Amino acid sequence: MIINGVLIDDTYAEAFGMKATRIIITADSLTWAKHAANAAFGFATSVIACGCEAAIEQELTPEQTPDGRPGVAGLLFAVSTKELVKQLERRVGQCVLTCPSTAVFAGCTGEEQLPLGKNLRYFGDGWQMSKVIAGRRFWRIPVMDGEFLAEESSGLLRSVGGGNFLVLARSRGQALTACEAAAAAIAGLPGVIAPFPGGVVRSGSKVGSKYKALPASTNDAFCPTLRGVANSELSSEVEAVLEIVLDGVTQADVAAGMKAGMQAVLAIGAAGGIVRLSAGNYGGKLGQYHFHLREILA
Amino acid sequence: MTALTLTLRPGMQGRVDMSGILPEKLAGLSAAEIVRLNVAVDGLGAALGELFELTAGDAEQLTIRTELPVLDKLGAGMCSGCLRVEGPAGHYAGLAMRGGELALGGDAGDYAASGMLGGLLHIAGNAGDYLGAARSGDRNGMAGGVVAVSGSVGERAGDRMRRGLILIRGNVGDYCASRLLAGTIAVAGSCGAQPGFGLRRGSLILARAPHAMPTTFNTAGIADLTYLGLLRRQARDILPDVLPETSRVQRYMGDLAFGGKGEILVAT
Repeated sequence: MIINGVLIDDTYAEAFGMKATRIIITADSLTWAKHAANAAFGFATSVIACGCEAAIEQELTPEQTPDGRPGVAGLLFAVSTKELVKQLERRVGQCVLTCPSTAVFAGCTGEEQLPLGKNLRYFGDGWQMSKVIAGRRFWRIPVMDGEFLAEESSGLLRSVGGGNFLVLARSRGQALTACEAAAAAIAGLPGVIAPFPGGVVRSGSKVGSKYKALPASTNDAFCPTLRGVANSELSSEVEAVLEIVLDGVTQADVAAGMKAGMQAVLAIGAAGGIVRLSAGNYGGKLGQYHFHLREILA
Repeated sequence: MTALTLTLRPGMQGRVDMSGILPEKLAGLSAAEIVRLNVAVDGLGAALGELFELTAGDAEQLTIRTELPVLDKLGAGMCSGCLRVEGPAGHYAGLAMRGGELALGGDAGDYAASGMLGGLLHIAGNAGDYLGAARSGDRNGMAGGVVAVSGSVGERAGDRMRRGLILIRGNVGDYCASRLLAGTIAVAGSCGAQPGFGLRRGSLILARAPHAMPTTFNTAGIADLTYLGLLRRQARDILPDVLPETSRVQRYMGDLAFGGKGEILVAT
């Protein structure tokens, strides 16, 4: 399959079932809601060492938030419920509770509940107050700028993490330009995030390493500088490869994100230095979800 | 389908206990079965058909018409459906109500919403004393649900209330929110003497400052409380214009004789 001069590899992205939740952070202004969100979701690019993958899903108008203030919705993904609970509490406690004027709410419902303000309330040292409003319990925790309002719990979502595609280009600059367009297209979609910096990854990895302590190492088959010494997947005109990694609430959300991202890259096409689109997988043995590039773009 | 309607026959003497005359109880019964249902008049049994004229219809949308405030315990223990009352209600309307909607088109007597656990009680007129309060011998008053009163309310509204929301567009009498354990009462009109007497936790939100704040309440100054935004949104669809338009309020903490963890908020 060739679209706009770009070869689409006959391959697939291999993704995994993950545990996720959506939270809504509001503040007196969108700026302060984003300060809190950027801190909470900042070091959350990969579950390999961050504990979770997280990012802002979308900005919300005052009409879209529970308390009528501007805010953002964010998604957090982890490999287990236990780890998600730990990351959620730690990140909200250190980055949202601490941020002036903010409040935090559940952004989803689920069969299982994850503590949100349930344990953070003890920061109130006995002065915390509970309010049940429209069947939902909130905690009012006194802080130095007034009160931090936190919903008691958020819902657990059984979701999909690890959707991806690789952009192979004639130069790093052209690869980056194309990936910026892809990240912008994905950012406008609900239910999906690209958790890496700017939505783009340069250090795609393979499972395992020659060093026993490392669970993952550089994807040498797609490293242009190793062409000629490693078992390379790259043709001679490819100078740089960048990856977009996506986590979604549902399989359809991941597919929609991949489609929007790839279409943005393909719109730039061969004229913009794009050579191929490919994807990362593990031979289909590890992940339960397979996203075939050609099927998504068909 | 029109609502099943019960119209109180003229010349009624005594008080009628309407416990058990609920949408969920009448649903599935024939008109003949409904008129044979037993109710108590001054403690003595009587057939429903002797007291009311029945117009067949959807029992889930039950309507009761009355010219006299003699029907007590309307909607008591109700769990689902909608019960509308055209005319004045007696005492204990919505007693221990768990769900559904009870809409009183006129006034309500004393102890409306006492022991209420869920659902919505809407009172288009005024309510008597002890709205949402605990009855004698009960530990707690209202413990869930929403009460919306378009008119005014008597004394001791929310006495020993445990949870839930009471919205009052008119005025309230003395000792509003007395011995409140938790929950929220919002009043758009004026407030009588000694609001929040014995308040343990929970919130009394007033649009106007009382003539005198009880001495066992201390001012905490002006506070910008985010939760009021949520509360305003909930109330907007039930009874608008009761909660202050702004979340900046004057906060008083008390009752200091009872722990001091409750609050009276006055709109700024």
